[in-house]
Amino acid sequence: MTQTTPEPGVDTGVGSRRSRVGAAGKVLGQLRHVADRPHGGCAHVAVHRSTRPHARITSIDVSEAAALDGVEGVVTGADLYKVLGDRMFTGPAFSDQPPLAVDRVRYVGEPVVAVLARDVATAREAAELVYVEYEDLEPIYDVADALAERAFVHDALRPSVVFGDLRHLSGKTETNIAYQYNLKLGDPESAATQGTSVGFEFWAPPVHHVPIELPATIGWVEADRLELYSTTQTPSYVRQSVADMLGLPLSHVRIRVAPLGGSFGSKMYDRLEPLIAALAWLHRREVRMVASREEAFLLTTRHGAGVISSMSADADGNLTSAIADVRYDTGAYADVGPRITAKSGMIAAGPYKIPNVAIRSRCIYTNKPSAGPFRGFGVPQVTWSHETLIDELARARGEDPAGFRRRNLLREGDESYMGTVMHSADFVGCLDAVTEAIGWDKPLDRGSGRWRRGRGVAVGIKAVLTPTVANAVLQLNQDGSATLMISTVDMGQGSDTIMPQIVAEVLSMDAERIRVVAVDTDVTPYDTITAGSRSTYHTGNAVRGVAERMRERLVDLAAKRAGGSSRDLKLTADGVLNTASGEVYRISELIHEHFGARGATLTEEFNYTTSWQPYDKETGRSAKATEHWFAGAVAVQLLVDRWTGRVRVEHLVVAGDVGRAINPTLVEQQLAGSAIMGLGHALFDELVFDQGQMLNSTLLDYQLPSVKDLPGKLTPIIIESPHATGPFGAKGVGETGIIPIAPAVANAVRDAVGVRITRLPLSPERVLQAMDEAGVEK
Amino acid sequence: MKPPLHQPTSLAEACELLDTLEETMVYGGGTAIQILIKQGVLFAGNLVDLSRVPGLAEIEETAEGLRVGPMTTLRRMETSEVVRRRVPLAAQTYGHVANPRVRNTASVGGNIAHGDYRLDPPTALLVLGARVELTSVRGTRTVPIRDFFVDFQVTAVEPGELITALHIPAAPAGNSSTFVKMSSLGENDWPAASVAAQVDAERRTLRLGLGALAHVPRYVEVPLDGGGVDAAVAAATAAVEPELDPIPDVRGSADYKRKLGLVATEDAVRRAWEEAR
Amino acid sequence: MKLIQLTVNGRRYDVPVDDDELLLDVLRDKIGAYSVREGCGVGACGACTVLVGGTSVSSCLARAVRYDGAELTTADGLPEDDAVVTAFVESRAMQCGYCIPGFVLMAHELLAENPQPDREQIVAHLEGNICRCGTYQEICRAVEVAAERRARA
Ligand SMILES: Cc1cc2nc3c(=O)[nH]c(=O)nc-3n(C[C@H](O)[C@H](O)[C@H](O)COP(=O)(O)OP(=O)(O)OC[C@H]3O[C@@H](n4cnc5c(N)ncnc54)[C@H](O)[C@@H]3O)c2cc1C
Ligand code: FES
Ligand code: FES
Repeated sequence: MTQTTPEPGVDTGVGSRRSRVGAAGKVLGQLRHVADRPHGGCAHVAVHRSTRPHARITSIDVSEAAALDGVEGVVTGADLYKVLGDRMFTGPAFSDQPPLAVDRVRYVGEPVVAVLARDVATAREAAELVYVEYEDLEPIYDVADALAERAFVHDALRPSVVFGDLRHLSGKTETNIAYQYNLKLGDPESAATQGTSVGFEFWAPPVHHVPIELPATIGWVEADRLELYSTTQTPSYVRQSVADMLGLPLSHVRIRVAPLGGSFGSKMYDRLEPLIAALAWLHRREVRMVASREEAFLLTTRHGAGVISSMSADADGNLTSAIADVRYDTGAYADVGPRITAKSGMIAAGPYKIPNVAIRSRCIYTNKPSAGPFRGFGVPQVTWSHETLIDELARARGEDPAGFRRRNLLREGDESYMGTVMHSADFVGCLDAVTEAIGWDKPLDRGSGRWRRGRGVAVGIKAVLTPTVANAVLQLNQDGSATLMISTVDMGQGSDTIMPQIVAEVLSMDAERIRVVAVDTDVTPYDTITAGSRSTYHTGNAVRGVAERMRERLVDLAAKRAGGSSRDLKLTADGVLNTASGEVYRISELIHEHFGARGATLTEEFNYTTSWQPYDKETGRSAKATEHWFAGAVAVQLLVDRWTGRVRVEHLVVAGDVGRAINPTLVEQQLAGSAIMGLGHALFDELVFDQGQMLNSTLLDYQLPSVKDLPGKLTPIIIESPHATGPFGAKGVGETGIIPIAPAVANAVRDAVGVRITRLPLSPERVLQAMDEAGVEK
Repeated sequence: MKPPLHQPTSLAEACELLDTLEETMVYGGGTAIQILIKQGVLFAGNLVDLSRVPGLAEIEETAEGLRVGPMTTLRRMETSEVVRRRVPLAAQTYGHVANPRVRNTASVGGNIAHGDYRLDPPTALLVLGARVELTSVRGTRTVPIRDFFVDFQVTAVEPGELITALHIPAAPAGNSSTFVKMSSLGENDWPAASVAAQVDAERRTLRLGLGALAHVPRYVEVPLDGGGVDAAVAAATAAVEPELDPIPDVRGSADYKRKLGLVATEDAVRRAWEEAR
Repeated sequence: MKLIQLTVNGRRYDVPVDDDELLLDVLRDKIGAYSVREGCGVGACGACTVLVGGTSVSSCLARAVRYDGAELTTADGLPEDDAVVTAFVESRAMQCGYCIPGFVLMAHELLAENPQPDREQIVAHLEGNICRCGTYQEICRAVEVAAERRARA
């Protein structure tokens, strides 16, 4: 039996630029996605949606819909409530969201009635034949309405059972604040009275993820088990959520996932799954729903957020104080908003050394579609604030904005104002790299006449989701190939490509021989979520751990074979080598011999769990709020058309500290890709609402960066400051690039035409208006 | 109920269907109609598809310029050699609509009949003085494009009629022209302002077509009295300004679009002037 | 229902279709061409691109009955050694990959019309295709590589 060894010179281990798994299949479109499951004979679901932002449902007439030829069933929220009771309310932080509205609607577009029919067209037609009567309640369109407390989105708060730290909120009435996080260090108010201070009110609007693949969920019942095939980043969560809702043991719920056609946070937690699970279970039928693009816009959004904040420095240019009041508009249902509020709130003053800090961060209900996770997890919204403030503070002091940041940035070993010590977060390195690449210290041709040129810089910090749990199971096949079972979902970030690289590195094998199993909760072990850029670190550590166990196991087998100790034995590409005798035991032979069978498998498992220290109740600080940090920086050079307000980015440089790049090509693609997405947020991306109604929920009106919107030049830079406990020093990168983009662009606009804009996006109209108001000559 | 799609195989049959059926609507490329259907705002009882009617997708060179069949795709208008040669402004403008796939499907007839105030091609057709040929069982008539756009999403096409040709006169020798499209969000978006401009050889007349700047595409003719390009720009913006009555939407306020319209006008005039040199 | 004939990637299919059935749905549900995908349903993203006689069409806006007798190409029917396909693979022009088949077909159309496009022409041709993962640089590079490769072949 021969064992394939990697071709000489072709390294597929850690640090290699191995090609993405299934590359040709992706290019040819042969990779199967959830919606590609054939659907002859299943029931298609369409939904009748609320036309009111906030109203009591007084009556629902489904008779016409039910009578339509081809309709199999019509289900209301009340129907579900009869069977499921309060269990039908789900959510990751608060159990507040029903799959279909019960008694009351809370946003325009909320599902009220579901129709099951033989085809999509019939289902949609029937959904339009449902008639609902409403009694309007006072609508809460925005955060200001919500804080006025004239009306309430929910009668009482209902934190979910899973989070102990939210328990005290249970049953709280007369509030639209789902959650509040406070941080207090020193005396920021009095510190702010000395030296130089700047303060603004910021706004980052709600935006949408728009992965090109539409959300899809298919559910059916096999005997007493429920199966879901779904586009989700959180299969383990969905299994729990659906099991809880239906009162089933976890063993009786199976979630399968195909590779996702992008997600960026949109396909997480409870999207289509609770509704489809309930309908499949009640109707004992295969039911299927693929959201239309308009529906996908309603399923989740990124939090619009307002920040009122200020920052101060002393005469020597050291930061002395930062104050921030952050308001996340979480829409009608909390989703993971409370987590976002705390995790992003705690670093709302940026990656700086500041002795006096006060932060209040609130998650606020309004009558809008629910907001949830989005690449960056709420951090881009607060970065918009702190990276503007620091820039303006530098200018107020007459200092170079890059130099001013450099002096005040947190460094290795520093304790941040929120209590956690910095490690493997090379902000200075990132800043140096981007300023160098953009030519920050070189003279700039500022342009003349209509076009003016400017440069801007910004840095970003984000904590990884902590605590989380990751598991990996590795099966080494007798022929020396391997099968890796993890519940990380590949949605374009490339986990199916890099996880085998980690195994390959440990076991000195070719990554091409290692296959990652598609997520199936019957097979693949529990994993908190694929999100928050946590997988490379957490699941990567589980994968590294399991590979190391496998290595020990092989050495043990070889030792048994050699009839002695494992002292001189070492795993190499050829097998286990006895360094004393030069003898090699091939893996295929070791396994064959051990089991006495061809095709046998050797299995190991490994768990990796991180812990944290909850925020102090008084100060909001924590000695370990996170397992590790993401550090990034962006520099841009751009032109502003002073006649139209249009911004053209000439060069964008984005750097991220990834600890160690497992696959540098994939890291560069993540950095560049998130920078492009971030440019959209900086310049034009925005969900527009009028009286609670989304106005631009089609791709004719909602703008996404196209190839025409690319910067003239885009340079991704990898910074490697290895993490002590990361797998080979690695940590994630999916979000690093997006975080500092918008403020870097705004800072460059400030540099070019002298106006400071604090509301996103920097649409041409907004830029022109700011120039008009400032009296900039054209 | 969804409207049935009729597929006549001759012009006479098409006219007959349009005359006899209830609430008919001509189906050209379908790119606009399909979206209306998706949005649930198509109000038609019967669709009459022109794709099987022979002879409707021809581009003929005439003494005056071109005669273009209504089912000619926008993409052919952009790429066809004869269009580029005889009416370069039209070729340029058609090349700016949407994206290549939509242009491959959308038709010249459907484009103007759609009547949207933001459409790009009407700007050039207004400048060039095109004429629209309309046919029905009652016969054929011709409407100047400058009279074609009647009101917000209303055109001169009467019930029972279909567009059977677009006559586009070639610009006399020595003319120069250009098309400027300005978006306010993504670069590939619909225009927030678009302007087609043409100066004649003698620099006596400036012709301007405005898109997205009022509830209908607008035509403005500006007499010039011999000054340089700056004078032409001043005359053009002065003439355009009262015509601007943009509709505010997610792409900008009326005020912003008005400003953008003036910049687009200036850009178009300067570029056309440059070309002329 | 009408019976129409479609030739998809060289194979003939006789398929019954309703008047208003979209080419997109027919290709996916009746022919199994899953590389054709709905991303927007309004002609704005390019995920549903097919070539009809070599010309790109948004199948989400196209009624199947109008394509009776047409010859269609979908990305899943391209040979693996196709110059555009190999150029995309080698240029690492994909992240999640969902949008890529649409780009591949647009590239085919472009190179058939214009075998040596410059960057501006490439950008102009791909302007209506959205890659939300932001793989545009690699995609443009792939089209250039494909052009070079075809020129040499
Ligand atoms: C993604 C996208 C982006 C777009 N961006 C732009 C843009 O930037 N600029 C721009 O100008 N346009 C843009 N458009 C609009 C596009 O130009 C129109 O959809 C298209 O021109 C309509 O042509 P059609 O043949 O498909 O019309 P159809 O959909 O067939 O018909 C449109 C209307 O015209 C009528 N009609 C069709 N043919 C005839 C005829 N021969 N006689 C009488 N009536 C007829 C129909 O009854 C219908 O009322 C965009 C469209 C899309 C989908
Ligand atoms: S789905 Fe057809 S173009 Fe987007
Ligand atoms: S690769 Fe994901 S959308 Fe293009």
